[in-house]
Order: sequence, then structure tokens, then C-alpha cells
Amino acid sequence: MMAEMTVERPVDAATTAAGDGRRTTDEALRCEGLSVAYGEKQALAPCDMTFAPSTVTALIGPSGCGKSTFLRCLNLMNREIANCHVGGHIWFHGQDALAPGCDVYDLRRCIGMVFQQPNPFPLSIYDNVAYGPRRHRRLSRAQLDEIVERSLRRVGLFDEVKDELKKSGLALSGGQQQRLCIARTLAVDPEVLLMDEPTSALDPISTKMVEGLMRDLARDHTVIVVTHNMQQAERVSNRTAFFYLGELVEVGPTKELFSHPRERRTQDYLSGRFS
Amino acid sequence: MTGVCAAFVVALVLSLIVLVASHGLATFTVDGVSFASFVTGTVWNPHASDASGAPYMGALPMICGSFVVTVLSCAMVLPIAIGCAIFVVEIAPRFGERVFRPITEMLAGIPSVVFGLIGLTVLVPVVRGFAGGTGFGILSGSLVLACMVFPTVVALINDAIAAVPRSYREGSYGLGCTRWQTVLHVVLPSAMPGIMTAIVLGMARAFGEALAVQMVIGNAAQMPTSLFTPAATLTSVLTTSMGNEAMGTVYNDALWSLALILLVMSLVFILIVRLIGRAGKVRGNA
Repeated sequence: MMAEMTVERPVDAATTAAGDGRRTTDEALRCEGLSVAYGEKQALAPCDMTFAPSTVTALIGPSGCGKSTFLRCLNLMNREIANCHVGGHIWFHGQDALAPGCDVYDLRRCIGMVFQQPNPFPLSIYDNVAYGPRRHRRLSRAQLDEIVERSLRRVGLFDEVKDELKKSGLALSGGQQQRLCIARTLAVDPEVLLMDEPTSALDPISTKMVEGLMRDLARDHTVIVVTHNMQQAERVSNRTAFFYLGELVEVGPTKELFSHPRERRTQDYLSGRFS
Repeated sequence: MTGVCAAFVVALVLSLIVLVASHGLATFTVDGVSFASFVTGTVWNPHASDASGAPYMGALPMICGSFVVTVLSCAMVLPIAIGCAIFVVEIAPRFGERVFRPITEMLAGIPSVVFGLIGLTVLVPVVRGFAGGTGFGILSGSLVLACMVFPTVVALINDAIAAVPRSYREGSYGLGCTRWQTVLHVVLPSAMPGIMTAIVLGMARAFGEALAVQMVIGNAAQMPTSLFTPAATLTSVLTTSMGNEAMGTVYNDALWSLALILLVMSLVFILIVRLIGRAGKVRGNA
């Protein structure tokens, strides 16, 4: 699917002129001076961050700190909001996603998104998962069946729903709905998965399942997850980034950041001095 | 006190139904016209009787006329209304709020006689121009009705589309779908119960509208065979004849029977709307 986005494109003058567009093997996605403003109000100060392939990165910070805003930039979901201006660069496969002319729909297929509230469409379970593939490619029934089963198996939902694939996706429990939404995203075969507080609307058992799923998905996906829950960040992530008041304060390996934060603000937040 | 007010309204509605039913049924109980011949007969001339002495009371031309103009007008309105609603909700909400909504509300407020007048002076000559004949007929009636039901239908479809949760749209965008794919495959199917309700309410309005239709349809109680020949609807026959026939005559009873058919049909429309609402709810909760 990514073939047309020139995976192995050599470094050329255009990309180096706009910034350092080189893609190394330990880089799935890189932001450079990424900033967001809603109208006049700056929501995110320019920040740099690199996401390695096959890792989970957690974005933590108090409410309104810009972590969700940051996440929603990465697949340009902010484009759907009027008055939202995104600056800087998002390098993905040697291309700047923010450059004019970049195909936002192609990008979103490669960088999938899972939302805070489970949001299955009011369609059957099958049609929910088949929704993305159907829009993007012409597939035979057998191919679709295969994609639906593979995606549902991947999130551990297939055995629970295999006899009622025709049932409405809204008839599932909250945790099942969220896994259905993850399956729906996986069905279009993304490389990067963005998750915006994917467990905040779920019960503890469903939360545990989704957390396990995140670690499992990180074997072949780059997972970036926003969470309010610091224990969750510790449990699932390889790297953690701390945002505060619209600014990326610090980012590092999760163990290091939690045990020896470099910044005073990180330390205060982790020790619960503010939230 | 408030209970009395409510009881008064309920009693009013019930007595209204009883009144129409008692007069309307007199045709069959007192005047001895069979119900079957009333709804299937194609000759409408209650002043005259056939060889066996039974008056010519075939209401089928009017029943057909009513249904044809209703279906045609809604068929004309539906694609335009859906297109408008998509545009003002999904593409230009500001335009919708500031210009489109006030304009359609204005359209809804125009008295039906004005629509009839415009139909008579503008539409009928145009139809006459390209189709020949008098210009009065089903097509003119349907076009006038379409203008009249449009604001109702478009407002309801608007609400139905705007009520589709934002999260559905985000889910679709998040999968790399375009706005058009999102509208076609997520928004419209989700809004379908509301759109159905809009159509049925539009049909109910079209079915019951009298004055404007009467002014342009030609009022000839004959089976509609062409879009361009004069026809009649239940309502148009009622408005043209009611004032001329004395209470208690056979003709008058027959008109009440037409009114009863109208009433029953509008109750059926309300019932359909309820069923759609319930089906939508069941699907949402299932």
C-alpha cells in the first residue's frame, strides 16, 4: 500500500532543503518543530520527537496539556477542524505529511487512529471491519472475509463474535466495541497506530485486554498512545513523553523518565504535586 | 386545571374523528352504497344514478390522483432535499445557519393560496407550453406540492444528518476515507430513519394539501392517464364541492366519505412515522 509513497527514496535536494528528510531504520515517524494553533491561540509549542518502529510511546500530562492535540496532528485529523493551523514537519517515509500536495487520505490509511470513546458505525460487526478495505480497494467476498477474520482475530474478538458477525456493532459491550474499532483500523493495514486514551471509557478487565493488545500490536506496528493513567504508561510503553501547558517537556525511555526525570515539572507531575 | 385542558384537547380530537367517521360512514349505512364500489368505481357523479338506481360514486380517480401527486411531489423533493441537507450540514454550515435555514423557513411560511396563484400564473402556462393541452393536471399539481413540502422535508433531513454523531465521521476520516465516502457510507445510512420520517411527513403534508393543488390540477374527476390532463384529488373535490351540496344529501355524504379516507390516510402516515421511530430505536439499542 505504501509503494506509491516511495519507501526507499534516496535523499534528494528537495527533502534536505526543507529539513533533514533522511529516514533511518530506527525511525517510523518524526516530528520537527511541530506546532498547533487554534485561531490565535497556540495549543502546542514547536516540538521535536522521533518514534521508533515496533515500539509503544506513551504521551502523558494533565488535561489540556496538548498531548491529544499532538496526537491528532500525526494523521492530520486536525485538518477537519476549522481554524486549526499546524506548523512544522511530520516526516513519514521521507515525505513531509504537512507539505502541500501530500495525500492526507493515504496518510491516514498508513497512520490509523483509535478514539477515546468506542465509535463503531451503526453497521454490522462484519461491515464495521470491512468498511475501510471496501472504500479503498475492490475486493472479492473471499478476500474481505479473510481480512475481517484476520483483523478480528488480531484483537481477540473473533471467537467471541464469529457466530453473530451480522449483529450490530453497537450491540457489543464497551470493551468489545473498542476492540472492534481497533480491528476496523487494523483492517486497512496501517503502520502506525494512534490511540487517544483508548481505555478511559472501559472497565478494568477490558482495559487490561486492550493494554495487552497494545503491547502485542507493537511487534509489527508503531503505537503512540495518549493516556491519563501513569501506571498504564509504565505498563505498556517503551518511551514516554510528558506534555505540560502546550509544551513537550521531556521525552525518554519510560523506565528512565519515571525513575529519573530530568525536568522539575516532570518530577512534580509524577509525584502527584499537580495533575 | 391543567388536566382539564389536556382532557379537552383529547376529547376534541376524538370527537372530530367520530364526527367525520359517522358522516363518512353514512354513505354506506344510510345511502346503501357498497364500500367496494366506492373505492373501486371510476365514475364520480353522485347527482346521477345508473340503471339500477345507485348513484355514480366511484372515488378511485380521486384516490389515485391524491396518491400520484403525493408520490410524484415527494420523489421530486427527496433528491434535492438530501443534496441541500448534505451541503448545509457537511460542507457549508455557516451558509446553512445564516442563509439557507431562514430562507426555507420563509418558504414554509408562505400561505398555500400564494403557491396556488404562482402555480396558476407561472407553472400552468409553462406546462401548457411544452406539453400542450390546458396545462392543468397532475404535473402542475405535483410541482406546486413539491415547493410546499420542500421546507418540511429539508428541515427534517437536515436535523437527521446533523444528529449523526461526530464520532462516526471521525472514525471514517481516521480510516483514510474522503468526505464524500464518509457522507455516502456512514452519515446517510445512520440518518436513514430520520430521512424516512421526513419523507413520510412530507407525504402526509402533500396528501392533505387542498387549496394550492385545487388551483392547478384542473379538477376533473377522471382516472389520471397522463401527467398533463386535468385530474382531481380527494382534497380538491372536497374544497370545490363542499359548499355547493346541502347537508344530508347523498352527494354530501359521499364528500364526508372522501374526508374519512383522507383522515384514515393521515392516521396511517402518523403510524408509519411511529413505526420508523421505534425500528430506529430498536436498531440503536440492539
